[in-house]
Amino acid sequence: MQDGPALAVEDLWQVFGADAASVFKSVHAERASASATAEALKAKGLIPAVRGVSFDVAPGELFVVMGLSGSGKSTLIRSISRLVEPTSGRILLEGEDILAANTRRMTELRRSTIGMVFQHFGLFPHMTVIDNVAFPLKVGGMSRAERHAKARPILEMVGLTGRDDAYPRELSGGQRQRVGIARSLAGDCSVWFLDEPFSALDPLIRRQLQDEFLDIRKRLNTTIVFITHDIAEALKLADRIAIMRDGEIVQIGTPAEIVLKPVDDYVRDFARDVARGRHAKVGSVMRADTGGIGPDDPGLTPEMTLEDALASCMTLYEPVPVRDASGTLLGVVHPGDLAAALQADSA
Amino acid sequence: MTEATAPERSALPLTPGLTAALLTLLVGALCLLLQPYAPWLIAYPAGWTLPATEWVGGGLETILNTIKPTVRWFSWAISFPMSWANWVLAGAPWALVIGTITAIGWHLGGWRMALLGLVGFGFVLLSGYWRESMNTLSLVVVSVPLAMLLGGAIGLLANEVPRLRNPLQVALDAMQTVPTFAYLTPLLLLFGFGPVVGLVASAIYAAPPMARNVMLGLERVEPEVKEAGIMSGATRLQQLMLVEIPAAGRQIMVGVNQCLMAALSMVIIAAVIGGFDDIGWEVLLTMRKAQFGQALLAGLVIVTFAIVIDRMSARLALERERFDPRVSWALFGVGVATAAVLALTGTATPPDGIFAGAADAVDQTLGTFTAANGTALDAIKNGAMFYGLLPLRIGLDEAVLPFTWGFQWTQSMSLWLFAAGALAAMAATLTGRAMTGVHVLIGVGILETGVANLPWPFVLVAAAALAWSSVGPRFAVVTVLLLGTILVSGLWERALLSLYLSGSAVAACALVGGALGLLAAVSKPAWAILRPLCDMLQTIPLFVFLIPVLMFFQIGEFSAFLAICAYAIVPMIRYTREGLVTTPPEMLEAATASGATRAQIMWDVRLPYAAPTVLLGLNQTILYAFAMLVIAALIGTTGLGQSIYLALGQADVGLGVSAGAAMAILAFIADRLVQGFAEDRRRVLGLS
Repeated sequence: MQDGPALAVEDLWQVFGADAASVFKSVHAERASASATAEALKAKGLIPAVRGVSFDVAPGELFVVMGLSGSGKSTLIRSISRLVEPTSGRILLEGEDILAANTRRMTELRRSTIGMVFQHFGLFPHMTVIDNVAFPLKVGGMSRAERHAKARPILEMVGLTGRDDAYPRELSGGQRQRVGIARSLAGDCSVWFLDEPFSALDPLIRRQLQDEFLDIRKRLNTTIVFITHDIAEALKLADRIAIMRDGEIVQIGTPAEIVLKPVDDYVRDFARDVARGRHAKVGSVMRADTGGIGPDDPGLTPEMTLEDALASCMTLYEPVPVRDASGTLLGVVHPGDLAAALQADSA
Repeated sequence: MTEATAPERSALPLTPGLTAALLTLLVGALCLLLQPYAPWLIAYPAGWTLPATEWVGGGLETILNTIKPTVRWFSWAISFPMSWANWVLAGAPWALVIGTITAIGWHLGGWRMALLGLVGFGFVLLSGYWRESMNTLSLVVVSVPLAMLLGGAIGLLANEVPRLRNPLQVALDAMQTVPTFAYLTPLLLLFGFGPVVGLVASAIYAAPPMARNVMLGLERVEPEVKEAGIMSGATRLQQLMLVEIPAAGRQIMVGVNQCLMAALSMVIIAAVIGGFDDIGWEVLLTMRKAQFGQALLAGLVIVTFAIVIDRMSARLALERERFDPRVSWALFGVGVATAAVLALTGTATPPDGIFAGAADAVDQTLGTFTAANGTALDAIKNGAMFYGLLPLRIGLDEAVLPFTWGFQWTQSMSLWLFAAGALAAMAATLTGRAMTGVHVLIGVGILETGVANLPWPFVLVAAAALAWSSVGPRFAVVTVLLLGTILVSGLWERALLSLYLSGSAVAACALVGGALGLLAAVSKPAWAILRPLCDMLQTIPLFVFLIPVLMFFQIGEFSAFLAICAYAIVPMIRYTREGLVTTPPEMLEAATASGATRAQIMWDVRLPYAAPTVLLGLNQTILYAFAMLVIAALIGTTGLGQSIYLALGQADVGLGVSAGAAMAILAFIADRLVQGFAEDRRRVLGLS
């Protein structure tokens, strides 16, 4: 993969309404901030669904966009995949400006580079499981035998063997989404969009599929943009999380940053219900200086969750060392800080 | 119906609806008062009309003559597949045809459908009308693919070019609301006598349902399925062919079913042109000769056709079970073998009808029955005419005569009537229902005057007022303009007659159908009886409704009224029941938990909730009534339907098309009005 981000989104706007593009252009030119532009657009009866969003996703990164319904996250992913035509902005996919791509190039990209999974699966009701999965290959002109041969191992990977000839209506929700995932992978995509893929599933199935998803991800090492409204899911899966509200990104950060250093009350509210001890790591509260270490060494590492760390220092009152796997001293943590990080603004 | 806004209990709140109603009342009263001094208020003077029908006729004839060569070429081209289909169907041994139908039946729906095919076509064979039936069928076989192509193309076009969507919708509405007979006339001029007219007419008539279902089906494909097609890298053509059309398959198959039924119905109606020895012609012929037994038999053949085609093609839209194809082939083989044996033994010609005797017997019995019960039947007919239809048509002041009612209507009776109406209106207003009061007064006025004698300014204002409160000011303007067109084109009188007949039929359907729907909603056994009846009535081609009413009541307005009612009542029953039984269970539970009795639940919960659906049923009933009105012209109605039918006989394009357009205008306005009210109710209930 080349240097630089796999996906770069710069000042992306998605405005709905009559004559949105030209109104946006005139309004945006006169105003400095995104919120001022948005207000002016709303005053003219337009709907700014995505408002000047920018972010980079590194190759192989799992980037989660989290927001409540109506926050514009679904519109955002539809703009990025050009299912709806963005009003303004730039989208660089592996360095290529895809808003400049013509229809043919876009079709090509969707066959080879981009894969997408939908909330309600979007399976073709009139096709069998294997035909659904092989569909991207079929439209790409691959012969029937060849594409079925290619689809079978993918079905196996998502844990769906022996149902090749079933129709979507004969499958459970979890099985349907496995088909959806398999189909999005059939084209060997390097950038993978998932639009709330597990939201329509029961909690147990959801957790199971999340785990399998992480497995698949490890094996394929694709770049992923993952949309969800579930903070727990975001924290569990993400390398980095972008929190959206009213079409704008409020904060981008690692799960620990989101939990421990929310930028405002909106983000803090999300994190409130989360058992932060399970998501924040020791590394986020560790001090780099090594002074004042007490006599005890409970064996903390930076990757340990706060919860686990606190459990092993329950009876300690003096700073303890944090070491990496090889035993090198990296810093210190005061057990009081661990407890305080968990307590902070949970009142 | 006009209570668009919730009535408030203050002194006399002038809501827009009430203002409109009062204005209507005022105009009506003024017209009545001024009537002796200005007779032109009632009868629109002939001198004020424009020769619109001649203009339309002249213009159309010019256009038609210009495109005639092209069209004749098309007619020539289409005559080949038609003669082939005819040759195949009429030439093929009957055993082969029945075997094939049975095999198709098995393929579509297993033994039930196979049996339906066998029994149905067996009956057709034994009726003695095999040749005529096959002629009809060959017309359907050629017109349906044409209609499907045309409809499918329109549907796809509307789907692909959103800007064309609205104009195409309007065109489809027009194709369906312009009465069937009306476009037979220009087609006759274009194609000349012969079966091609019926073919083209049925293709035009059957295309809209196909187009609508294609549009609806494509629109209803889940957005994520469409998006998945795009994100899989399919080109637009691939998306359509591989994803959207197959995913919309069921809805499109519903379209195929409706398309088949419409084509069959139209092919049979087109028989009035004559020139083709088909089953519709047979019905007409026997009806004209008053051989009702035979007419009934031929009618039953049509009904059989309709049922077989409908039930089999309806299977297309269901989730398909797979039936063993070997059985299909075996059934087909049996047909071939039987045909071969019959051919070898020299008995291949279809047998003479075995029901001819039965038909004669029915005819005789019927003759005896009508002779014996003539007085009773006449009493029914006259009673309905003198005490129901006639007063509605020409008003109490003219309909109440010593000869029928036993006394003469006098001026003072009119005054008493108005006084009673005014008292009732006053009482209603004082109890906070001013709207009802005004409606009562307007109703009394109409009853006194009669629909056919209504002053035209009153009709215009009333229609505008309704349009205003149901849809909005713009539609009120449109309504006045459209009705004005009818007025100045000299078709006004006939339009009022049509309005009166369809209006009284709709009113009767609303009352009886509403009551039956209510009954069906509360009683399962009642619905078990009504449901197959409704299915049956909806499958029967319009034409066939004329036979039984003619048998008992001869030619005349009452027969037409009955035929219209029989056809138009079905949607009223269906929608009323549908609206009532689909009340959300939680609402019923909440009402029960609040201590409401069954009657209270029905009155206060289910009926208000069902109102929008019932209104849609009324809307359908109105459209059905207009459709049937034209057909009923065959057995004696006055008004636009009759004009259209006469125009067909005289090949008068101007009159035919103008009268057809006037009819379409009435249907269009009625449709939008009722839909507007239904939409309003839905909004109030938060359903839209």
